[in-house]
Amino acid sequence: MKNLTVTVVSIFLVVMAILPHFLDARWQTVAVTFLIFSVVALSQDIVLGKAGMFNMGQAMFFGMGAYITAILNYHYDWPILATIPVAIIVPVLFGILLAAPIVHLRGDYLLVVTIGFNIVFVQVLINNLGGVTGGPNGIFGIDPMRLLGFELSSQLAIYYFAFIVLLLTLGIMFNLEKSKVGRALHYLREDPLAAESIGINTRLYKIFAFGLGAGLAGLAGTVFATQYSAVSPEAFEFIQSVLFFSIVLVGGSSIPGVILGVFVMFVVPEIFREFATWRFFVFGFAMIIMMILRPRGIWPATFGKIPKFLIKDTKHGA
Amino acid sequence: METFLQQLANGLTIGSMFALVALGYTMVYGVMRLINFAHGDMVAAAAFVGLTVYTQVMGQATSLFAVVAIFLLTAGLMACVGVILERVAYRPLRTAPRLSAVVSALGASLVIQNGIMLIWGPRMRIFPELVPQQFWNFGGVVISLIQVLILVISLVLMVALYLFIEKTRMGAAIRASSIDQDAARLMGINVNSIIALIFIIGSSLGAIGGLFIGLYYRGITFNMGWQYGLYAFIAAILGGIGNIPGAMLGGMLLGLFSAFISGYVSSTWADAFTFMLLIFILIVRPTGLLGERVAEKV
Repeated sequence: MKNLTVTVVSIFLVVMAILPHFLDARWQTVAVTFLIFSVVALSQDIVLGKAGMFNMGQAMFFGMGAYITAILNYHYDWPILATIPVAIIVPVLFGILLAAPIVHLRGDYLLVVTIGFNIVFVQVLINNLGGVTGGPNGIFGIDPMRLLGFELSSQLAIYYFAFIVLLLTLGIMFNLEKSKVGRALHYLREDPLAAESIGINTRLYKIFAFGLGAGLAGLAGTVFATQYSAVSPEAFEFIQSVLFFSIVLVGGSSIPGVILGVFVMFVVPEIFREFATWRFFVFGFAMIIMMILRPRGIWPATFGKIPKFLIKDTKHGA
Repeated sequence: METFLQQLANGLTIGSMFALVALGYTMVYGVMRLINFAHGDMVAAAAFVGLTVYTQVMGQATSLFAVVAIFLLTAGLMACVGVILERVAYRPLRTAPRLSAVVSALGASLVIQNGIMLIWGPRMRIFPELVPQQFWNFGGVVISLIQVLILVISLVLMVALYLFIEKTRMGAAIRASSIDQDAARLMGINVNSIIALIFIIGSSLGAIGGLFIGLYYRGITFNMGWQYGLYAFIAAILGGIGNIPGAMLGGMLLGLFSAFISGYVSSTWADAFTFMLLIFILIVRPTGLLGERVAEKV
């Protein structure tokens, strides 16, 4: 299973690396969106899948990154690439600050609080707090990326920007699984009490997962703002968070599963454009049927090299 | 003082609608430990069904009999939808991991919401004027007949529900199932029928709430379910989720809170303040105002 994951992800990356040269402009845009949303969904997977916290506010961190890039570039004339550190650090700080008082909450309550964060965030954007968010219309006219004097405004350049961000995210995810942190997260998801009793600081690791997820989502936000050279509040509404939440669970919170989920949710509708109004109706049914047939997702995550006979029935685990 | 009294009247009206909808959330959560995300969309659907019953079945009559018939027919239809919803989307997942049921609920919500859009269209529809536009002016405080009706009917329904839950054998069965499903089953309670009953009660109360929303706000949209649903859900948490009197109290308090915020601070910030209140309450007292402290294995 482990080798299969590595093989599938490698093939996927090779295909994605050469793919944009075979696409026309419209499909290149779709492909960029696919890459960006994959990064956000994977960042959601760190919080929801790896650490097992019911987070339904990931679009907030995504939007925070996008808005920071937009505001710094539009109002203060920062170059896009210079905004990246800020677009990562601020969501990380917010992730830590917001998570600290709430990570001890039980599943459903955590879910509701994160929905609350997301809704407050969007209201702040709409009400134009501090006069920099542009209110309900958002901010238009963000500069293209510039590197060493070259203007990187083509879809192709943005595609590779997004691709590098995805590579970085995948690198972090693969490393996470092999590291002490990844093992700690895995234990505390399976049984927080047992994890605490063998000396894992569950609170610290939960906050860490929130911070890491927030940082990656913020970085994806920068790419998003660059791609559309605009940001507006409705792109970060909490319904987006619901989609990311569902993608991770329907996918099964493994890397191939999550990417497959993003593909089904954001690329397939582009193929069936004439049925656009039926999109969510069909997805709703698909979500129900999927959960009945495969409650652990399309491609369930496996962890480590535990022999089969040691794994107990984990039906009630999540 | 006038603002205060006016917002008090408005707050009690909205509050009783929140409370009616919150009861559906809290009852389902009490027995199944599941946030029924589709409930808000059921409420929205009820407003549209009411609209269609009014134009197609009742021939746009607004006599007292016709109005009562619209309410009863809509509530009955939505109760059926609720039972089907439970049968299709929730029952097969009762032993599955918790999150699978949450995703199924979100899926059901998308199906209902977009089902409304496909049937009635994406644009705002105007709900019929079923109740005469009668206003009373008490020294600057304006109260409409609709407000009085909403408040009185909601209170009557809530008292009836409370008595049903506390005083009847069926109510005792509901309470038993919400404490411990397995023990209730061993005592000879048919938990499946109890859950169906809960969906019947919750959906029909929600349907009446939906019709009230239509009567009071007039404009109904296919995606309004999330908005009212979230408010009602906050009300349920505020009172202590799973607790029936708590949902009534939570609804009223939330209605008053949002009315006073709109009246005294600003209506554009009402949502943000409401959610900040929610976050604050969950941090300091996660079990809500009337909720019991439950020792639970995380």
